[in-house]
Amino acid sequence: MATSAPTPHAGDDNATDDDVVSLLMRQHGDIRNLFDEVESATGDERRDAFRRLVRLLAVHETAEEEVVHPFARRNLPGGDQVVDERLAEEREAKEVLASLEEADPDSPDFAERLRALRTAVQEHARAEERYEFTHIRRSGDAGRLAAMARGVKAAEAMAPTRPHPGVESGTANVLLGPLAALMDRTRDAVRSAMGG
Amino acid sequence: MTFNPLEQRGIPLDRQVRSWRELDVAPIDPDHCDPYTRCRIITMNGIEVEAILFSHQLARHTADPEIKRQLARVRYVEAQQQKVVNWLLPGVSSVLETTIAYEQVAVDLTAWVARMEPDPYLKQAYQFGVLEDFDHLYRYANLYEMIEHRKAESIVDGLTEVMPGRPTRFHHRDPVDNVRDPYAKDATNPLSKLHALTIMSAEQQTMNFYMNTGPTYMEPIARRLYQEIGLIEEEHVTHYESLVDPGETWWEQLVNHEYNECYLYYSFMEQESDPKVRAIWELHLNMELEHLHAACDLMRRHDGRDPAEVLAPELPNVLTFEPNKAYVRELLATQIDLTTLGAGYVREAHERFEAMQARLHGDEAPPSDQVMAEHQDMFDREYRLETEGEHPDPALREK
Ligand SMILES: [Fe+2]
Ligand SMILES: [Fe+2]
Ligand SMILES: [Fe+2]
Ligand SMILES: [Fe+2]
Ligand SMILES: [Fe+2]
Ligand SMILES: [Fe+2]
Repeated sequence: MATSAPTPHAGDDNATDDDVVSLLMRQHGDIRNLFDEVESATGDERRDAFRRLVRLLAVHETAEEEVVHPFARRNLPGGDQVVDERLAEEREAKEVLASLEEADPDSPDFAERLRALRTAVQEHARAEERYEFTHIRRSGDAGRLAAMARGVKAAEAMAPTRPHPGVESGTANVLLGPLAALMDRTRDAVRSAMGG
Repeated sequence: MTFNPLEQRGIPLDRQVRSWRELDVAPIDPDHCDPYTRCRIITMNGIEVEAILFSHQLARHTADPEIKRQLARVRYVEAQQQKVVNWLLPGVSSVLETTIAYEQVAVDLTAWVARMEPDPYLKQAYQFGVLEDFDHLYRYANLYEMIEHRKAESIVDGLTEVMPGRPTRFHHRDPVDNVRDPYAKDATNPLSKLHALTIMSAEQQTMNFYMNTGPTYMEPIARRLYQEIGLIEEEHVTHYESLVDPGETWWEQLVNHEYNECYLYYSFMEQESDPKVRAIWELHLNMELEHLHAACDLMRRHDGRDPAEVLAPELPNVLTFEPNKAYVRELLATQIDLTTLGAGYVREAHERFEAMQARLHGDEAPPSDQVMAEHQDMFDREYRLETEGEHPDPALREK
C-alpha cells in the first residue's frame, strides 16, 4: 500500500465536531483536496470531481454565511469590515464558479481559470481562519461553538458531497443546474438546525 | 565543474543593498511548486539566519569599532538576503504545512550529507540524527491530517516517504549524551566542515521555528507536540554543533560561513527548477563571493594566515536535494534502536538514558504518542506514505 485511505470529509470522520472552527478548518482541507482531484483527473472523472467541488463550496460558503459571519459581525471588534471583505471574496468566487460550469473541463482555458479560482479560494479560507475563526474561538463559549457546529453539519447533510458509486450519471444533471436552489435548501436546513 | 570562489569576483559590497521594490519577491505556489524548491528555500533561510547570528556574536566579541562597522555592513546584506529568501514562502501556507517541509528538509538534506560524508564518525552522527527527523515528519503528518484534513503527500509529493522512524519518545536523552566529539580542523576534509555547518544551521532554524510558532496553535495536541519536538531540536543542535572544532578562530569560522554560503547558492543555482528562484540563488551567489573576499582579508589581517590553507581548492560536488528512500530504509533496518552514550552510540537503554526517560515521561504517554492515538480515534487508521513497500522493520508495520 502506497498511501493511507482517502481522508473522509469533515463530518464523516469520528471527530466529536463540538467546535465549529475545527470543523470548518477541516472542510477547508476537503475543498483543497477536491481541487487536487479535479486537477489530476480528466474527462468524465474531472467533470464528476468538479461537480463535487462546486457542491461542497456552495454548501460550505452558505453555512458560513448563515452561521459564522453573523456571529463575527456581532461579536468581533471591527467585525463588520472583516465580514464584508469575506463576503466580497465569496461573491467573486461564486461568479467564477458559475462561469466555469459552462466551460469544457478538458480545455486549457478551464485549467487556467480553475487555478485562479483555487488561489482565490485558498486565500479566502486562510483569511477566514486568521481574521475570523481565531476570534470566534476566543469569544464564543463551548455551547455556542457546538451550536454553530450543528448548523454546519446540518448543511453538509443537506447536500452530500461525496461520490456515490453507481448513481453519478443519474444525479449528475440535477447537481449543477439548480445551484441557487441548493443554496436555498442549505440555508433552510441551517436555520432550522440552529433553532432560528 | 571547477568553480573556485576564491578566484571569482562578485557584486561590489557598496552596491549590494536592495530597495523595497527589489525585496518584494513573489512567493511560490504551495500547491504546484517543486517540493525541493521549498526545501532549498528553507535551507537557505537557515543558512542566512546563522550568518546573521554568527556575525552578531562576533561583533559582540570585537573591540575595534572599524571592524564592528564592517561586520554591520555585511550583516545588513545578509539580513536582506534572509528576507528575500524566506519571503519566497507563501502567506497562505499554514505553520503545520511549513513544519512538514522543514522535516522533509531535515530528512533529505541530512541523508544526502550522510551519504557523501567522508569521515566515518561524522557520517554516523548524520545517520543517527536522520532517523529522528524522519519520525518527526510522520508525527506532524498525522497531526496535519487531523487539523487540516490534508495528507502530507500533498507537500512532500512522494519524494520522501512518511512512516515511523526511531520513535520520538526515545529521542529524549540525558543532555550530556548529546555532546559529540569534534573533527580536527587541520586534519579533516574541508567538505566535512561545510557539512557540519550546513546541518547545524538547518537544525538551529528548525529549533527556532518550533519554539516561536508552536504556541500559535490553539489545539492542545498541537501545542504539546511542538513542545516535545522543539526540545528534540535543541538536542539536535547540541549534537551537530559539537561536531565543529572549537579551535577554529573567529576569523576562520567567518571564512567558513561565507564559503559555505557560496557553496550552497552555487549548488542550488545548478539544480533549481523555478527560474525566478534560480535568479535569486544566482544573485545571492554573486553577493556572497564578495563577502567571502572581505572575510578572507580579515583572516589574513588578524590571524596572519592564508585562508586557502583551510579551504578546499575548488567547490566540492554540488549539494543536491533528491530522494534518499533506499538509503533511509537501510538505516531504518539497521540503526533504529541506537541511542547515544557519551560521545558514542550503543544499543542498550543504559542507566542515564532510562533515568531521563523516567523523569520526562513519568507514567504518561508523550505528545508524540498521543497524537497517534488521537489520529487513530478520528480516522480508524494512521497516516503513512510508503511508496517503496512495507516498513523495513517488521515491528513498525501498521497493525
Ligand atoms: Fe468562506
Ligand atoms: Fe471557509
Ligand atoms: Fe548570506
Ligand atoms: Fe525534527
Ligand atoms: Fe532535527
Ligand atoms: Fe554572506
